[in-house]
Amino acid sequence: MKFLLPHKFKRAGLMLAPAGILLWLLMQTGKITSFLILVTGIDPSHGVPGYFNTINSGVAIAGFFGFLAGLYFIAFSREPVEDEMIQTTRLESFQFAALVQFLFIVAGFLFMLFFQAPKETGMMLFFIGIVLSFWICFISRFNYIMHSRGRWKTN
Amino acid sequence: MENKLKELRTARGSTQAELADEVNVSRQTIISIESGRYIPSVLLSLKIAKVLGKKVEDIFELQKCDL
Repeated sequence: MKFLLPHKFKRAGLMLAPAGILLWLLMQTGKITSFLILVTGIDPSHGVPGYFNTINSGVAIAGFFGFLAGLYFIAFSREPVEDEMIQTTRLESFQFAALVQFLFIVAGFLFMLFFQAPKETGMMLFFIGIVLSFWICFISRFNYIMHSRGRWKTN
Repeated sequence: MENKLKELRTARGSTQAELADEVNVSRQTIISIESGRYIPSVLLSLKIAKVLGKKVEDIFELQKCDL
C-alpha cells in the first residue's frame, strides 16, 4: 500500500488521540472556562468576556481534529513487518468498518423517519458518530486480529 | 486446505520467528498459516517451500471440499 505512514506514526497517534479527546472533554465539561476564570481573575457572576467562547471553540476544534488525526495515524501506519496477510487483514477490516458505518447511517435515518428527528446538537453528534464509527471499527478489528494472532504462539 | 508447515518447521528445528524472518513475513502470518486461518499466496508458498527444501505439494494439501 502506497499511502501508509511509517510505523512511528502509530505511537504518535496513540498519544495524539487521547490528548485530543481529553481537550474536547475538558471544554465540554467547562474546565477550560474555569481555568480561564482562575487565570484572569474575572468575576463570572457578571458574565464572561467574549474571547472565552473563542478560546473554548478553538480548544474544541483542536481537540476534535487532534483526535481524528490521531485515529488516522493509528489506522494508516505500517506494521513493523508489512506482509500479504497484514494487507489482507487491513482490507477486510476496511470492509467491516464500511459495513458498520453503513448500518449506523441506515439505523440513524430510520430512527429519524419513525421517531423524532434530533435538533442541531443531535444531528451534529450523529454526523460525528458516522465519522467515528468507521475509524473506531477499523482500528478495533484490525488490532484485535493482529494481537489475537500474535498471542497464538506455538513454538 | 491442510498444511504440514508446523511439523516440517519443527522437524527442521526452527521457530516461527526464524521462519518468518527467512521468508520476510511477520510471525503472525506463520502462526495463521499453521493454524489454517490464512491461505498464503503462491509466491509465499513457493518461498516457504524453498526455505524448507520441500515441494509446495509436500507442505500444502488440497482437501475434497476445495475441489
